Parts: sequence; C-alpha cells; structure tokens
Amino acid sequence: MAATLTPWEEYAGGTLAREQVGLWRDGLRRLRRNRLALAAAVYLILLVVMCVVSIFWTPYNPNLVGTCPDYTLPSLAHPLGCDDLGRDTLSRLMVGSQVSLAVGLICATIVMVVGVSVGLLIGYLRGVLDAIFALIINVFYGVPPLMVAIVLYVLLGPGLINIIIAIAAVTWMDMARLVRGQTLSIREREFIEAARAGGARTGRILFVHIFPNALGPIIVQTTYVVPAAILTSAFFSFLGFGVPAPQADWGGMASEGLSPLLSGFDPYMLLFPALALSLTLLAFNFFGDGLRDAFDPRQRR
Amino acid sequence: MTRGTLVYIIQRLAIIALTLLVVSFGVFVVVHSLPGNAFISQRVHGKSLQLLLHEYGLDQPILIQYWNFLKGAVQGNLGVSLYIRGEPVTPLVLRELSVSCELGGAALIVTIGLGITFGVLAAIRQNTWVDYLLTSFAVIGYTVPSFVIAALGVMVFANFLGTLTNGNFAYAAVWTGTYGTIGELWLPALAIGLYTSGQITRITRASMLEVIQQDYIRTARAKGLREWVITLRHGLRNALVPVVSILGTTVVGILVGVLVIENIFGIPGLGKEFVESITEHDYNVTVGVFTIFALLIGVSNLIVDLLYTVLDPRIRY
Amino acid sequence: MERRTGDPVLDVRGLSTSFFTDDGEVKAVRDVSFDLAAGETLGIVGESGCGKSVSALSILGLLPRPGRVVAGEILFKGRDLLTIGREELRQVRGRDIAMIFQDPLSSLSPVHRIGFQVEEAMRAHDKVPSREVRPRGLELLNRVRVPDAARRERNYPHQFSGGMRQRVMIAMGLSNRPEILIADEPTTALDVTVQAQIIQLLRDLNRDLGTSIILITHNLGVVAGLCTRVVVMYAGEIVEQGPTEQIFDSPQHPYTWALLRSLPRVDSARLQRLPSIEGLPPDLIAPPPGCKFNPRCPFRLERCFRDSPELKPVGDGQTAACWVTMKRAYAEMGAASLVDTRPGVASGVGPPATATEAASDPEPEAPGS
Repeated sequence: MAATLTPWEEYAGGTLAREQVGLWRDGLRRLRRNRLALAAAVYLILLVVMCVVSIFWTPYNPNLVGTCPDYTLPSLAHPLGCDDLGRDTLSRLMVGSQVSLAVGLICATIVMVVGVSVGLLIGYLRGVLDAIFALIINVFYGVPPLMVAIVLYVLLGPGLINIIIAIAAVTWMDMARLVRGQTLSIREREFIEAARAGGARTGRILFVHIFPNALGPIIVQTTYVVPAAILTSAFFSFLGFGVPAPQADWGGMASEGLSPLLSGFDPYMLLFPALALSLTLLAFNFFGDGLRDAFDPRQRR
Repeated sequence: MTRGTLVYIIQRLAIIALTLLVVSFGVFVVVHSLPGNAFISQRVHGKSLQLLLHEYGLDQPILIQYWNFLKGAVQGNLGVSLYIRGEPVTPLVLRELSVSCELGGAALIVTIGLGITFGVLAAIRQNTWVDYLLTSFAVIGYTVPSFVIAALGVMVFANFLGTLTNGNFAYAAVWTGTYGTIGELWLPALAIGLYTSGQITRITRASMLEVIQQDYIRTARAKGLREWVITLRHGLRNALVPVVSILGTTVVGILVGVLVIENIFGIPGLGKEFVESITEHDYNVTVGVFTIFALLIGVSNLIVDLLYTVLDPRIRY
Repeated sequence: MERRTGDPVLDVRGLSTSFFTDDGEVKAVRDVSFDLAAGETLGIVGESGCGKSVSALSILGLLPRPGRVVAGEILFKGRDLLTIGREELRQVRGRDIAMIFQDPLSSLSPVHRIGFQVEEAMRAHDKVPSREVRPRGLELLNRVRVPDAARRERNYPHQFSGGMRQRVMIAMGLSNRPEILIADEPTTALDVTVQAQIIQLLRDLNRDLGTSIILITHNLGVVAGLCTRVVVMYAGEIVEQGPTEQIFDSPQHPYTWALLRSLPRVDSARLQRLPSIEGLPPDLIAPPPGCKFNPRCPFRLERCFRDSPELKPVGDGQTAACWVTMKRAYAEMGAASLVDTRPGVASGVGPPATATEAASDPEPEAPGS
C-alpha cells in the first residue's frame, strides 16, 4: 500500500483540492453578500445565546404555577403574558428553545453520521446492499414519515431522547440517498481510480477522497434537516406526543394555546410560541438557501 | 398504452402490495407490543378482561393474529374496533377516508392552483417586485407550520372578523356534520394547501426560468405566436415535468397536513382517527388507518409516475 | 450575375447592437448596413462571435435579455422594424419574415407533435385560412421531402434525425409564404452529406417560391453552394461584401483572404501546413483603436493602428474596409508567395510604441500611406 500519493494521484487530487479550496473561498464571499442569509445567521446566533442563557437563568421560574393570574395579557412585568396555569410565557419560551434546538441539532447530527456512512458504503460497494436499500426506501416512501415517527415514539416511550430517535429514524434515508447519488458519480472520476491503483484501502478512499468532494450538498442538506426535525417535533407536541409536562416546549405551548384561541379570548398563548417556531424555521431555511446559492458551482447570469 | 407501460403498472402494483404487507405487519407488531390496550383503558380487568381478550383473539400469538388479520384484509375486512366494541373497522375507515379525501382534495386544488399560478407569474416577472412578493409568500408558506397558519386564519377570520361584524361574517371554526361545506372547508384547505403550494411555486418558478432560456421559446417567438401562448403552451407545458416529480412528496405533505389540521378543527377524518386510536390503544383501527394511508400514497405515486408519460413523450416505460 | 434592380425587400442601415452585461457594454454589432433584393440569396459569413447571428436576431427583435439595438434602421416594406409596435412586429414574425435556427433538436418543443408545430405557425397568423392549415402542413412536409409525411407528422421531434428535424423547421418557416427566410447556421449541427441536402433544398425553394434567403454561416463552402452575394463580418463590423464569385476569386480584405486560404483543399500538397489565422478576435467591450483586424493582419500599416477603415468600392459591386487591400498586398508585399502569416510579417509593421518585429521577409517595406 502506497504511503504517499503517486504523482498522478497527487496531480489529480491536488488540483481538485485546490479547486475545492477556491470553491470554498468563493462561496464564503458570496454568502457574505447575501443579506437575507446573514440576517438569518444573526437570528440563529441570538437564539443559541438565549437558549444557553435560559439554562442558567430566566425572568421567572418557567414551571411555577401561579406566577401571575391565569391568562394574563402581555404587560410590562410579563412581556409575553402568562398561560392558563399562570406561568410566565417568556420564561417558558426561553426554556422551550432548549428542546427545539436540541431536537434540531442532535437529530441533524445523527442523520448526518448515519446517512453519510450508509450512503457512502452503498454508493461505493453497491451490489446486494444497494438492492436492500432500494427496497427499504421504496417501502418507507409509501408511508407518511410523521405517522411512522409517531408510532415509533409510542413504542419507545415518552422522553426527549426517544423523540429524537424516532424523528432521526425516518429522516436518515433521504440523506443516505443523497450521499449515495453523490458517491456514485464521484467514484467514476479519475482520481479515485488513481487512488485505487495506488493501493488505497476502501475506507481511506471513502473518507479521504470521496467524502470531502461530496461535502457541499451534504452540508446544505443538513441545514434543511434541522428545521424539518424541529417542525416534526412541533407536530409531535401539538398532537399530544411531545415531551412530558411540565417541560416547556414550543409545540406543546402552541397546542395548549389552541382552545383559548378558538374560543376567542386569548390568542397570545398560541401566538408567541407559534411565532418563535416560525421565525426559527424561516431562519434555518433562509440560511440553508443562502448556503446553497453561495456554494452552487453553477454561475448565475 | 404500450406493453411496457402495462408491465410497469403491474410491477408497481406488486410493489404496492408488498409495501402494504410490510407496513401492516410492522404496525401490527409494533402496536401489539405496546403496553396496555383498549380494554385496560376502559378499566376492565380480571376475569372479564380475559374473556374479552379471548373473544377478540388477543390472547393468541402475534403471528396467528396477523394471519387472521391478513385473511380478513384481502377480503376487505379490516377487523373490528376494540374501543367501540364490535364496530367493524372497514366501513369506519372508509367513511373517514371520504372526509379526509374531501379535505385533501380541496387542499390539492389550492396547492396546484396557487402553486403553479404563482410560480409562472414569478418566473415571467423575474426580479421584479412581483417575483419577490410571490417567492417570499411561497417561502413563508412552506416554512411556517400548518397549524400556525390555521391558527392565524382562525384568529383573523373567526375572532377578529367576528368582533368586527358582530358575528355575522365570521368563520365557524368547528365543523357541523360529517362533510364540510365550502364555507367550512376553505380555511383548513388553505392552511394545508399554503404549505405544499409553497414548494410547488418554487419548483415551477425554477423550472420555468430554465425553460424560458431554451431555444424552442425563441423559435416560438420567431413564429409570431402571442406572448401568453408562448408562456403557457410552450413554456409551462415543458416546465411541468420537474413539477410533477415533486407531486409525490406533495401528496404526502397534504396527508400530513390533513392529519394535523383535522385534529385542530375537529374534522372527523382519518387523521383525527389515527391520533385517537393511538391514545385509546385501539390497535385494529390504527393498523387499518395506516394501511389505508399506505395504499393512498402508493396509488398516488403510481398515478404521478404515469403522469410523466403523458406529459413528456420522451419518457416511456 | 444580373444587376440588382428595384427596391430592396430588406434594407438594414447602420445597425448597432450591444449587450449590457455586468462586465460592461459588449459592442456586438457596429454600424452594419446591407440590403436584400427580392428573390436574392445573401450569405453572412464570419467566425463565432463576429456578430452575424446577433445582426439577424436584431432584425426580428429576438435578442436575449441584456441585448438591445442601440442605433440604426431596419426597413422592411416601408416600415422600420425597430420602431413599429409589439403587435405589429409579432405579425411580421413568421408571416413576412421567418427565421430558422442552428440546432433543430433544441429549437423544437419536445412535447408537441411536429405536425402541430408546423400548423401552429400558420394558425398564429391569418394568412392561411383555417381549413387549409392541415392540408397545407402536409404539403409543406412533402415539399421539404420528409418521407411518409402523413404518418410522421404525428411524431415528436426526438423521433426524427437531425436532418429531418431541420427540414421540419424549414417547413415551419415557409408555412406562411414569407418574403424572407433567415437561416442561422442551419447546417452546422448536421453532418456533411445531410448539409448538402439541406442546402440543395434551400436552393430549390428559393428558385420555386421566390423567397429571399439570408444564410448565416461560418462555412464558406456552404455559402458557395447557395448564395449569390456575400457579406463578411469580423468583430461586429462588415469588412467586405460583394457577389460570391468575385469574393471567392479576388477577396480584397486580408481577413477574407486568410479565411479562403484556410479552407482545406483536395488538391493541396500532402504535407503542407494548413494556413490558419494567428491570434484571437478582439475584446468587444474595449476594442483596439483603428482597424479591428490589426492585431492579426500580416499586411498592416501604421495607419491601421490609428484609423478605422470604412467600406469603399474595390470592384464591380464589391466593397471592402481596408487601408491596404489585397491588390496592394499582392503588388507590394508579396502576398502571392506568403507562407508565414504572422501579424505584420509581410508589411514589417508592428504595433506603435513597441519594438517592431524583425522582418524575415526580404521584400522592401511598403511606403507609409
């Protein structure tokens, strides 16, 4: 096994590597010019800061019943009002962000790790594995993922971890399919053949050569997985399958706010968590769009 | 219809059957391994519990149970509800299916109507305020969760409008009867449709933008065709293929939306049934609902794939 | 070669078109003037990027987005096509002036049957009554020699070969009996035998229907086979025009001369190098001063770096834009025996304020004008 790159491998890999570096720098520059994506990034950073702060401090105790009279409307003391049990909405909102961000980020990580590994292996080795994968995909394609996730969750039992697992379990397949496609096309390029001729092992080829070249679409897809996971978990809570009380969670708060809204006397209980949710999802989506526009090698007119 | 297409349809139907099998089996097994069941929730225990379990065959091994289920299912009998003793699942599910289809169908009309119209308009007025407005509308549509839109809709059209017009022109947020009237249907359909139409707008716009660059558009203009004819007959018609490719995902999106929205507005459809059956541990119903959903998706995906051959004569199976 | 009489059916005067891109204004066409008589076949020749296609697209207002006509008149039947309204221009397109394009696969809508596309061209205007559209469509397909037309008109473009598709395009173009047919590189995407058939077809149609044809191409052989007059373009300008035979016999502009020399010939000596023109076409955003061909011209003089030449008569009905002209190049610079065609080699003149190239040519320097 060659310990160093052959001249051809070096040339091909080196040129491509330099090409890649140029691509990254170019893309970063384009990203900085996209004001919408930048605004989204700022919002997300603020969100993360607020989330971290909320671990240590909130204006009021989010779980303490009776901090204020039930259904208080927004006021100076309680900028977002209180809910039906007299808990301060602002504090609950801050703590709720922990759940959303945790679900989003951890889910995305799992999906990326599992999806990329499976995708690389299947795309490179093909054969029986590919056939099995295709079969699994075809079957899962035929059911709404939300329903499968709900059933899985009920099976696993309540708890934040199980929500994350259930959601990740229905999301990893799209990532795997993406990575498989990328691997299939990258593996045909000359420098892979050069690496193989140089005696590189499969694992090395996969992670040193193929993976970096597929990184662009992978990163973009991951930025879309985060809001998708948050959205799904919000649906979970909304339908009653969320984190157990009294843990505050945006979806759950929205669900609690539904009947006061429908009855017409307190729209704020639903409005604020819904707003928080929507803004966060928008921010992730805009940022993902910005990333994709910036790193898409196709030039615009 | 060529022989190849016929073969393709048969292959797809076989895959659908296989999927139904796997899905129903999977759900069956999962749901039966859950702790508790409908009877325990209804506080039946002891001897009467044993009797009931035996009567409904719930004390037999899982595989036997599934086999019995399967035998009945291929004849159209999906078992009986455990919660509502003895009520056959099939007619229940079918009735709710029709309700969900009414809602889903309305949502589909909204989706395709708004989605394609906005997408075309945004494309032909690229980079103008029309484009930015419609594109932002689309992005908000598919980012903001459907229950938020539903809630906002209720807030504006039911509460706000109600206080404004003293209850004359408000939107009635709760359904009366099984099937909704148009007056009751439009808000839930909109709430679902806005989400999926956003995706369609995006793809239609992107596809139209690509198509507009094509040489045959230049040819059409050189022939002296009117501008709207060029846009619709040569532009949109050619741009539809990528749009159709996401129709499958769109249908799934509508189904998910139906699931959630029904639970908000109390619409007596499959979505509401699904959640209820899980909370009530009424397993037979859960399996039935799942199976029907899987069937719906399988068939709609097949229709979408067949639609390709109609739209693009270069595609043949 | 008969003298052209009567009013031209198309009169292009001083046409200038630019593309306004992010990098600047690309002056694609500058002050181009030519006319077309009834029943005439005119060829516009030049390399890629010289502005021939852009000129044609300007006539019918088909320029893609950042492009715009900035000056000139295009007179057709007494009206200036650049100033008439949109609806009027739409009516001219396809009915009075038709255009066909280079790649017939991408130029036909893939999802409509070709019979439909041909009929569509007729239905868009009111020249052909509705009940005659279908039979006429079939007749046209037969005339352009599409075999088994009655059955094949229900086929889609991808089911035809390249040559067949181009015939369909021609049928589409001629369906309303236009006065002028503009063919933009109709044979470039086809192979050689099919090329000959298409050119033959165009020739026959010109003869039978009397349609004037403007043929745009970079292929001089094709021009020789079809056109009675030729316009040679370089870097957005006309450098020479005249009757085809004359141009081929005695080209006066060095570019035309070099172009003709670079055609591979069956009777050339076996191991002889194929003469080519050194260098690249100029940047159309910031073109060099003087004659645009001076960076590549073997016969350039000092004046060529300063003043842009205008079209002047150099023969019977032939004009060229050159300070030197080939007559002088043959007489004074030994063009007849020139093998090395590097810029400035024959005249020994280099760009101003730079060292002049060592003249390997023993001929005496041409006296400065």
